[in-house]
Amino acid sequence: MDYWYYFWMANFVVAGSAFAVIAVIVLVRGIGDLRQMFSRLGEESHRRQS
Amino acid sequence: MTTHFTGLDWGIVAVYVGATIAAGLYGRKFVGGISDFLVAGRELGTFIGIATLAATEIGTITFMYYAELGYKTGYASFVNGLIAGLVMIFIGRTGFIVKQMRALNLMTVPEFFEAKFSRKLRVLTGILVAVGGILNMGVFLKVEGTFLAIISGISLDHIKAVMTGILLLELVYTVLGGMVSIVITDFIQFVALSLGTILITLWSLQTAGVHAMYESVRTNLGAGGFSPLANTEYGWAFIIFQVLLWLAIHTCWQTTAMRTFSTRSPEVSKRVFSWAGFIFLGRGMMPMIWGIAALALLGPNQNSLEAMPRMLAGILPSGILGLVVAGMLAATMSVNSSYLLAWSSIISQDIMLPLRRKPLSSRQQVLLNRAANVFVSIFVLFWGLWYTLPGPTYFYLNITGSIYLSGTLIAVIAGLFWKRATTLGGYCAMAGGAIASIGFFFFKVPASYAGLGSFAMAAAGMVLGSLASKEPVTTAVVNVTTT
Repeated sequence: MDYWYYFWMANFVVAGSAFAVIAVIVLVRGIGDLRQMFSRLGEESHRRQS
Repeated sequence: MTTHFTGLDWGIVAVYVGATIAAGLYGRKFVGGISDFLVAGRELGTFIGIATLAATEIGTITFMYYAELGYKTGYASFVNGLIAGLVMIFIGRTGFIVKQMRALNLMTVPEFFEAKFSRKLRVLTGILVAVGGILNMGVFLKVEGTFLAIISGISLDHIKAVMTGILLLELVYTVLGGMVSIVITDFIQFVALSLGTILITLWSLQTAGVHAMYESVRTNLGAGGFSPLANTEYGWAFIIFQVLLWLAIHTCWQTTAMRTFSTRSPEVSKRVFSWAGFIFLGRGMMPMIWGIAALALLGPNQNSLEAMPRMLAGILPSGILGLVVAGMLAATMSVNSSYLLAWSSIISQDIMLPLRRKPLSSRQQVLLNRAANVFVSIFVLFWGLWYTLPGPTYFYLNITGSIYLSGTLIAVIAGLFWKRATTLGGYCAMAGGAIASIGFFFFKVPASYAGLGSFAMAAAGMVLGSLASKEPVTTAVVNVTTT
């Protein structure tokens, strides 16, 4: 029973830490991705109109 | 426990909802045609891809059913989160299915069936996908409303009005901006829900205490609270079913697949899955810890679905409660808007469009999608109000999902990797998978056996159907979408 408990808690610590770290990375770098998406979609929209 | 939800918390929630709606409406100016509307012009980079994928698949409903599992089955429930995350990382590292599917420039999963098999099979698959998906989404409002009612202290009758209002707001920006609006709001929602998830986890651990949680599980659940093999809800059949199910969800579930199709390239989609896999580990295990904390704090005699929100209402102070509810609403809105778009896209693109003799222009397709969005919203609203779940929420969602997922996964794998696969095999796979899943509703078959049986019947149907027919097989899959 204890083996399972320690196994799950180790998994939980890894999962929780990874979740927090990736959330911060996505927050920082996702803004750049969004800007790039707006820029490309805007260009495409402009191209269609012209 | 009584709630500490006050005017300050309502203020935080109102500011958040207003900001989300404004951001969602901003997206409409980028929608020029059907590919912008459904797959954001295929312009998603890695990080925004992770945000939208995570936000789409993490909702209040996710927190509720995973916390319910934690409350009922203790640490053994972690097996669900572990499988979901590891399977996603595997897909990301290998590119299994997603790389090939992205390269085909699809917009919906059933579209693959026309490219590989036949138009009629695409329509049949579309019907199964729409029925399974909409039934699946049908319980979201009720479960989410239960959470909000308990945590805010408002009566369930009033919450129905609130949930209807939220659904309408989601509908407005989804109808106007499609995937572009959803991606923008998903980013905001990902930030809010991540903050809420981490806050609740830390608060739960601190309040309940790690040792008290361990003791509570040991006393109330025994060995079954730790080992998934000793727990009657799980066992090997369940574990194998979950591996197959998550393989199907990550590759063929329409909301997830739309993110694959929206990425800039197959390589980007692989990166998105590799990173998001780690998010999925936490997506499962953190809410399960909340459920275990609820068991430790409230005891074993609570309604299993309501235990977690009751605990949160009691332990979180005003202000934090508002942030958490905003995070939960973020999760709710991101999931519901994505699901609305996903199922309405199936109705319009894979059921109505193929049945028309005269093709529609890109603009007309957008209009048709918008009408389908409204239809799905109305159905979900009424189904959510009167349907009562037959068992744990997680198992209901598994079974409604596998109505089409089992057949679809088998048919997609065979279509991509088995040259002998034929249209008859595709029909047999879809029928076999659906029949076994529907058996759960009528014959009360245990979820894991019904699920595993649906994959087995789908595979048998594909092999037998293909070997029994001799039609020439197209080996080159082409893009059939009007963009």
